[in-house]
Amino acid sequence: MADKVMLTNRIVLRSIMPLFKVLYEADYMSVRKLLGKYDGVIQFCIKGTDTGAYLEFKNGGLEVLQGIHPNPDVVLPFKHAAGMNALFTGGVPAFGGFPKGLYKITLVGKLLLLMLGLLLLMPNVNPKEPAKRELKVKMIMYMITNALSQLNKGGDEDMMVWTGKQPDRIYQMSVDPDGPAAYLRIKGGKTKAGHGKYTRKAPFVHMRFNGIEGAYKVLGESKDTVSATSDGDIKLEGSPEYAGVMGSFMMRIQDMLMPPKK
Amino acid sequence: MAEGMSWSVTDGDKLTQAEIYGEVLAQLGDKYSNIVAITADLASSTKIGRFGKKFPAQFINVGIAENTMFGMAAGLAQSGMLPVVSTMAAFASLRSAEQVRTDICYQKLNVKIIATHAGISFGQAGSTHHCTEDLAVMRSFPNMTVIAPADGFETGNAVVAAMEIDGPVYIRIGRGFEPPVYKTQDYDYKIGKAIKMRDGKDITLIACGVGVLQSMRAAEVLKSQGLEARVINMHTIKPIDKDAILEAVTETRRIITVEDHSIMGGLGSAVAEVIVESGKACAFKRLGVPDVFAIVGYPEDLYHYYKFDADGIVETVGALLKMEIEEDENWEDEA
Repeated sequence: MADKVMLTNRIVLRSIMPLFKVLYEADYMSVRKLLGKYDGVIQFCIKGTDTGAYLEFKNGGLEVLQGIHPNPDVVLPFKHAAGMNALFTGGVPAFGGFPKGLYKITLVGKLLLLMLGLLLLMPNVNPKEPAKRELKVKMIMYMITNALSQLNKGGDEDMMVWTGKQPDRIYQMSVDPDGPAAYLRIKGGKTKAGHGKYTRKAPFVHMRFNGIEGAYKVLGESKDTVSATSDGDIKLEGSPEYAGVMGSFMMRIQDMLMPPKK
Repeated sequence: MAEGMSWSVTDGDKLTQAEIYGEVLAQLGDKYSNIVAITADLASSTKIGRFGKKFPAQFINVGIAENTMFGMAAGLAQSGMLPVVSTMAAFASLRSAEQVRTDICYQKLNVKIIATHAGISFGQAGSTHHCTEDLAVMRSFPNMTVIAPADGFETGNAVVAAMEIDGPVYIRIGRGFEPPVYKTQDYDYKIGKAIKMRDGKDITLIACGVGVLQSMRAAEVLKSQGLEARVINMHTIKPIDKDAILEAVTETRRIITVEDHSIMGGLGSAVAEVIVESGKACAFKRLGVPDVFAIVGYPEDLYHYYKFDADGIVETVGALLKMEIEEDENWEDEA
């Protein structure tokens, strides 16, 4: 049985942290414009393990990479996986020692701005600006499709059973007419998340949102899909049964990433 | 598109075959005052209830009595009414075969049958509700026109066109979740005239019903492999468009038929008859449900199992052309 904490940590490292790159490329809060020229590496890790991910700022760009960097500028060590998960799910993080390199103000500044950007994912954060709303939709789409893949790769038994019996299928999310898109590909137990539209074959299930606002209602405000469908915010093309199962796995991910109850 | 007809298909809930036919039928009630809609306790499932809401005096629910329903339809047609009968394909073509054949077809009566949940589109319900024999049964009845529309838009067009035919028409559709093939109902639809969905010289996929979408998807994959597949939407199984078939045989020399139906007696058999009688030779393969009672499962899984989804079509093309179809096996570059 997959350990829920470790599975959540996998999603944090591989599905949420890559959103830093999305925020950076969108120049959220002008972080790139203001601090783009400062290179360096910020490491997130779990103390005493080789589990972690790092942000590598280089030549004005950002890559989010898995593992441990040999020579990071800033290190944020966590006591355990749950302690790291808490930072990203609204809980109280548990550090495994004092962070290293906090005097590197420019890098820390970048990180703080990007962490603020991640707050866009929170259900109670409702930006009014269209660009921010689109960014929120894009981030949620990327996060969901990737997290579904991590659920499978991380050993969630139900997900593995579900993906194991499927042929090559694409579960596509997209915003009409030409907004953000993301997909999950499944084939015989293997999964892969991708951005944009999968071009090699047609979607098996396609969740088509009616513009950014339609997507925002469903993804940002958690409007239920039944109401969203009847209101025209979303069109579901393809197998309703498989879409329903995928929806239940999405709910499972949402539950894993909810802040701990007080 | 019939003159004066207009229905909006911009809403998500009207993209299914059943939804559109229910809507179209309700609108046709304004044009044909003699329509009587009849169902056997499936007004909601088959969507014929939409007509009933608009014209309650011209709507009959006979209860679970399909044989009676078709007998009543024959009587109503004899009286100058225009009965539109809707039930599941298994009940229309198997349980009520005798009434359809003898009461309706024998007298060439003006009854329109719209059969839902055809093929294995109601996969979870099992063999009692699967219907992989209806095309074979219905096309063997003299005077019967047999249509298997590709999607909801085409179903709408088929229902409209069926009203112009003096005689029985059998239209078979799916369970209601089939994605659309067309973007609009505005295209040149004629009963008995196949539609070339895309041209190609390497192979021809002749399909009906859900097979059309699967063939279109397969053709896209084949294109990435450098193969040009012609796709023909053979929406009318009877009378079949012989010219389209023979032209494809002459120009591509390879034919694959695709249908959600037994490979015995349906589209594949109808196409084969045309080819054999012409004396022309070609490579030929029928895709559909083999000579078995289909297993139980979600329809999309069954289409894959019986290899008449896009993957199965591509695989069959590869085997027919003795070529390796390149797979996308890149699982490492996860976003």
